[in-house]
Amino acid sequence: MDVPIYYTRAEYIETDTGNKVSRRATIAGPQNIILGGKTIISSGAIIRGDLRRTGPGHAVVISLGRYCLIGEGCVMRPPYKTYRGNFNYYPMKIGDHVHIGANTIVEAATIGNHVEIGKNCVIGKFTIIKDCAKIADNTMIPPNTVIPALSLFAGSPGRFVEDLPESTQEMVEAQTKQYYTRFQPLPSER
Amino acid sequence: MTPSIEYYCPCLAASPHPPPPHLPSSTYSFHPLHNLFFCEECDAVRCNRCVMVEVSGYYCPNCLFEVPSASVRAEKNRCARNCFHCPNCRNTLTVVPSDPPDDGDARMSPIVSSTLGEPPFFLYCNHCRWDSAEVGITFEKPTGLAAQLQKFEDSAPESLEFERLKEHFEPFLRASSSSSSALHSAAAHHVHTNPITAAASSALARDIPGVGKYNPLSRSRAGRDKHAHKNDIPDYKSRVEVASAGINAGGGEADVDFMCRLETMSEVAALEQRWVSSWVASLHSSDLKPLRIPLQSKKSKRCPSCRHILIKPEQKAQSVRYKIKLVAANYLPAISVSLPHAQAAVEMMKRSTALNKSAAATTVDEHGASAGALLAGKTYSFHLAFTNPLYDPIQVRLKKAQMMQAPGADGDKTRRPPFQVNLPSSPFPVAAFAEAWEYEDDEEVMFGLEEDEGDLDGMGRQQRDGRSKTRTLGVVEKRANVTVVGGEVILTKEARGRVKFNMLVSYTYRSDDPDGAEENVTGTPSRSHASSKAPELKNFSFYTVVDLGLIVPREESRIDPDI
Repeated sequence: MDVPIYYTRAEYIETDTGNKVSRRATIAGPQNIILGGKTIISSGAIIRGDLRRTGPGHAVVISLGRYCLIGEGCVMRPPYKTYRGNFNYYPMKIGDHVHIGANTIVEAATIGNHVEIGKNCVIGKFTIIKDCAKIADNTMIPPNTVIPALSLFAGSPGRFVEDLPESTQEMVEAQTKQYYTRFQPLPSER
Repeated sequence: MTPSIEYYCPCLAASPHPPPPHLPSSTYSFHPLHNLFFCEECDAVRCNRCVMVEVSGYYCPNCLFEVPSASVRAEKNRCARNCFHCPNCRNTLTVVPSDPPDDGDARMSPIVSSTLGEPPFFLYCNHCRWDSAEVGITFEKPTGLAAQLQKFEDSAPESLEFERLKEHFEPFLRASSSSSSALHSAAAHHVHTNPITAAASSALARDIPGVGKYNPLSRSRAGRDKHAHKNDIPDYKSRVEVASAGINAGGGEADVDFMCRLETMSEVAALEQRWVSSWVASLHSSDLKPLRIPLQSKKSKRCPSCRHILIKPEQKAQSVRYKIKLVAANYLPAISVSLPHAQAAVEMMKRSTALNKSAAATTVDEHGASAGALLAGKTYSFHLAFTNPLYDPIQVRLKKAQMMQAPGADGDKTRRPPFQVNLPSSPFPVAAFAEAWEYEDDEEVMFGLEEDEGDLDGMGRQQRDGRSKTRTLGVVEKRANVTVVGGEVILTKEARGRVKFNMLVSYTYRSDDPDGAEENVTGTPSRSHASSKAPELKNFSFYTVVDLGLIVPREESRIDPDI
């Protein structure tokens, strides 16, 4: 039933916790990025962990939960603003079971659990996306938008379209887990 | 166009049988499994169309503040804090301070936090760059904006007039609701004027500038009765004469003049922009005012017949947990449909693309699409995977619904149905659902192995299909709580349209409660007399519609490969 999604073994690095990171993805500042485990970062993705808060000490810039997917050609960039005259980057936190479609640009501040983001979207700076929300393909979310739980947003600028069914959490969880199991190296190389 | 399956909710029809799937209207009776609810009391499937919805809490979708229901009406169903919609593009507005006296780069990033900055503050749209200073709305301090705007809102002549109207009609409304039984015609009408229908009808009867007025009341008999009734109350004298007051009521000479001198489209506010404002708005897009954001609600849902709660959300607005959640996915087996021949084609495509990424994807795509298509005049097998959500094993029996023959029967009796579906007739078991942690660790290993077997199998079968016409009906695969069964569909040569058929699924399960006497009345006990000690077995049936996809006529398919 579940058709596997094959990748060439050489392209992906698999960590102990089951994260699969493409060698063709650009990971800047990896020491500032946390992956929760069983998270897939596809080829061509750019993750800017180097854009950290100014100041001494260790700073987490981007944290991703478990069973996430960063699609091909995605750009993940922490949001920035000038506050009391100081320019600064702010951390980006992403929950578990979050799928981000191909070629989407994300500058959100917080993304909850079980969130689906479509292809070719722009998620503006300091956007807050609550649990189980969904963003349709080709949606423009302007900066500072708040997307409430269990709502579907679409359009440019992204607007509320409808409430999602009560069982969204289970569905997304099953879907993201299934995606991870489907995503496997080509059997001929085993 | 992947094959799909939807479940039937009988709420729209009088009969328990679903409408024939080729009727466009039938789609309203079928729903994806995860959109359905299940009432344990009635032992029936419920959908979003038939459940009773109650508001269990209000919140602002922007600041996520949970508004107590007592203050919702006073705040006119909109956020009374700092949340505004852009009147131009409906995006959320941000409060920004004025530019510092001489600082060039502040313009570049107006999304500065507003805790510090110079008054006056104004609202700014990050998307379309509209700002409230354009329409002369500025604020002394960046907090409590709605309260600051409230003064203007309340002092608007329309708002005052509306308040007076409400006062005027209040005694009448109170009188009619108390003595409604005495007034026959009015009583009949009042049954329909619950707040929701009243709101809906007033919304429909709204006067849109430039659109003909629709007045349902003046047409119907009930409406005339109501008009007659209105004479009982004293005439209302408006505070000001609307026409003479010159407030921006639409459709005057001024508007005609404005339209004549129009230079760009954007000078006129679109209907969508004016529609949401509470009062008659002017045509000028430069007059648009920021809008307080309408509140949203969390809803609880009840079964329409027994009024038991099916969905009860947690109080907290942004929580996605539920105190009560009776969804059909926890009771009915989940079914997924696939066409092995299409999957094999996609598989081939995936492999080839994964191996040599440089290969032109478009040609492969075309190839894949044509390989996975349903050609008229051929026979295809399809797989139905049943996933058991129950903690007990179930026995499933499939039956094609009789309604299938209906189209041929009403039209011309000689015409054969465009396709024939064969389903496994004997019941098959689906194992119980075990908690995921029991086999999560070795699941992946198992999964991988099985998957390999699966596609080899699929490939092998496809080749066999090409040569001999032997097909497999019945159980194809069993793993964990999933059973895959095969069926086949025979397409006639002149078949057109979608392969869509209704399927009756009945399953037998073990009842949880020892004395299921009352429920036995509704469900038909299949083996209740087998032995008195055996666990109680119950039966539940539901209809589904299976959509295998579009049939490709023969001619086209022949031409395709040449191109």
